[in-house]
Amino acid sequence: MTIASTTQLICFAVLAFTVVAGALGVVLLPNVVYAAFLLGGVFLSVAGLYLMLNASFVAAAQVLVYVGAVNVLILFAIMLVNKREDLSAIPGLALRRVLSGLVCGGLFALLIRVAFTTPWGSGPEPVGDEATIRIGEHLFSDYLLPFELASVLLLMAMIGAIVLARRDVFSQDIATGESVDQGLIEKARTPLLLDRSGR
Amino acid sequence: MDLSLSSGIPLQAFLVLAAVLFCTGVWGLINSRNAVRVLMSIELMLNAVNINLMAFSSYLDGQLIRGQVFAIFVITVAAAEAAVGLAILLSLYRNRDTVDMERFNLLRW
Amino acid sequence: MSLPGALLTAANPAVDAIGSGTGVSSLALQLNAGAIAPEAAVLLALVACLLVDLAGEKAASHWVPPLSYAGLGGSLVLLALQWSPADLQPSFLGSFLADNLAIAFRAVVAASTLITLMLSWRYVERSGTPVGEYAAILLAATLGAMFLCGSTDLVSIFVSLETLSVASYLLSGYMKRDARSSEAALKYLLVGSAAAAVFLYGASLLYGLTGGSTSLEAVGAALETSASPIAALALVFVLATVAFKIAAVPFHQWTPDVYEGSPTPVVAFLSVGSKAAGFALALRILVGCFGSFDEQWKLLFTVLAVLSMVLGNVVALAQTSMKRMLAYSSIGQAGFVMIGLVCGTEDGYAAMVLYMAAYLFMNLGAFACIILFSLRTGSDRISDYAGLYQKDPLITLGLSLCLLSLGGIPPMLGFFGKIYLFFAGWADGQYLLVVVGLLTSVVSIYYYISVIKMMVVKEPQEASDVVKAYPAISWSLPGLPSLRAALVGCVIVTAVGGILSSPLFTWASQSVSGTPILQATLG
Repeated sequence: MTIASTTQLICFAVLAFTVVAGALGVVLLPNVVYAAFLLGGVFLSVAGLYLMLNASFVAAAQVLVYVGAVNVLILFAIMLVNKREDLSAIPGLALRRVLSGLVCGGLFALLIRVAFTTPWGSGPEPVGDEATIRIGEHLFSDYLLPFELASVLLLMAMIGAIVLARRDVFSQDIATGESVDQGLIEKARTPLLLDRSGR
Repeated sequence: MDLSLSSGIPLQAFLVLAAVLFCTGVWGLINSRNAVRVLMSIELMLNAVNINLMAFSSYLDGQLIRGQVFAIFVITVAAAEAAVGLAILLSLYRNRDTVDMERFNLLRW
Repeated sequence: MSLPGALLTAANPAVDAIGSGTGVSSLALQLNAGAIAPEAAVLLALVACLLVDLAGEKAASHWVPPLSYAGLGGSLVLLALQWSPADLQPSFLGSFLADNLAIAFRAVVAASTLITLMLSWRYVERSGTPVGEYAAILLAATLGAMFLCGSTDLVSIFVSLETLSVASYLLSGYMKRDARSSEAALKYLLVGSAAAAVFLYGASLLYGLTGGSTSLEAVGAALETSASPIAALALVFVLATVAFKIAAVPFHQWTPDVYEGSPTPVVAFLSVGSKAAGFALALRILVGCFGSFDEQWKLLFTVLAVLSMVLGNVVALAQTSMKRMLAYSSIGQAGFVMIGLVCGTEDGYAAMVLYMAAYLFMNLGAFACIILFSLRTGSDRISDYAGLYQKDPLITLGLSLCLLSLGGIPPMLGFFGKIYLFFAGWADGQYLLVVVGLLTSVVSIYYYISVIKMMVVKEPQEASDVVKAYPAISWSLPGLPSLRAALVGCVIVTAVGGILSSPLFTWASQSVSGTPILQATLG
């Protein structure tokens, strides 16, 4: 075993450990702020794994988009909805957690089986540093259509997020001048939001 | 030098890591009571997918690296989805004053 | 047509660069961007709506409707011009294929958006939400759904699926002051994103299985030679996403809540346009890729179809809200369409296409009536429809005809669609499915008729309070004439289309005969 391979083995072990530990922290820690910070740690370790796989461009994108945008967005959301609430206890919660844990364990066993029984074959030597050029070529040739469509998706997500998160709504119907109320239409419907936690 | 970088570790190591991350995400999706944490669990699942894609791309598709391009699309879409999700969450929080999933009566199956 | 041309010239050097790496075969492929001209028309309308919206809400409410009609109408015309191309070439280097199946489903999607928009204007203005953004987001959803119908590459499928989904989440939550709408949006988003993540995991396994290719053709070829558990796992993951999109039981839990909470016109789109895209995806992935596993997926789909038909139609009996009833009935209708998918014969596929087209008109006609009723009275409880015949004959007639058609009563359009599905199923030996379909049809007729009975039979003094206080009928407000046009149009097609349905039959069978992936499985 050469020094290089030992080094990468250690790197992989450390990164894999931080990914798994961070992910468990995200789903298990009671405090959601810590969970969000651990999520940032998971994103960073995943970026490290990408570097090990010779994908520097995607690693940079991962850091910029996930850590820089998504994680910060999540932290902002936590700050904006930070009312401290005591979650009402639910009977059988522990049992539900164990059962769902078993289901996820079964899923995991299945995924592992697939990973080890499939003959994956082997591919050509990785391109390494030329990856960025290749990605650019792909985006402007065989992935041109999804690339253009992604721009529509982002535009629409931006507009929609602004419309939904903005506080103001029109106070009157622009055609009739009557005052409007979004609950007005179908007001007699059975409310979807009856608090059914008591049942 | 970078050509030899990933040769020491088998492909399966990455796949197992991705499977662990994916299953953790699924568990969090089912059990989280805070809506923000559910969104975080979905991000974990998407990251697991990306690890898979990147590993296949490096080990099996080293020249054309389509998996890396796929991963970039996943990252893009995940960012858009997170933004929309948090906007919806904010508008719901204004109406309902809670982020407790149990009071949205969700994911009961 | 200058835009596709510019794309073509811009992309050619890159094509050469890739071609030099992979061999000459890529060079032979052309970008062939004319195939997405219908989508380009929708995109232009989307951008135009956003630009007009900058001029203020007054200008938007005046200009957005004609602009979006122009875009969608142009798109439908361009689709008609594409029909049965002389030489079918993949476009965008294998990302997209405009075969007849794709054209048929894209037309259903575009038509459903067109009718949905005609129904929407009054509802959106009445609720005080911005019109321009509403149209833009709905057009973006249409764009995603149309691309989904023709995508032949895992990456394109994923991006178009997400465009459709994210736009649908936004539309569900569009009544942001109404907590029900926000909650519907959050539920839809969480379940939908989880489904997308599961689909992606399946897609990543398929990418690994092909050894580095994302085109459906390569996936199909790789799956033919592999019998390992990976194929089963990928099949289950992909099937879960498809079933989520078409709301098949047991992946339907989101449907009733989302349908009840979302704005009604959005529900109209989700129940037709989004579902049509889901069926197109199902055909393309299951028939195109998992052809060597067709026993397995047909068995799974048989189970899904039986569950959907039984649960959808039985639970619909107990509903008191019109929207919720239509939500469950749409689950049942999806079960009927799945019969055609399970058959896998030429007639089966053609019956699917025909039934989707019929469903477009009858379901949107029913939604037009519901929207008009809720605009006039503010209610959608079934009991509030009692005695409506006295006050509003148009809604009563339209809703009755559309519901009879949904139930499959001759000589409506829905009867011919359903009988064709059952005929195809019987001819292929799917006796269980056909028998369950017939029995649940009877159940569905029962609850459709009970609504009609409620409207027609009740004496004036038995009418509900809502109907007793029914406002005078007026069509003068902007947005109402287009609603009336859509309602009358849908009802006429539903009622007369059955008798004059032979062009529809020809259209449906051509859409199967002009589709190479379907022909390949038929042998």
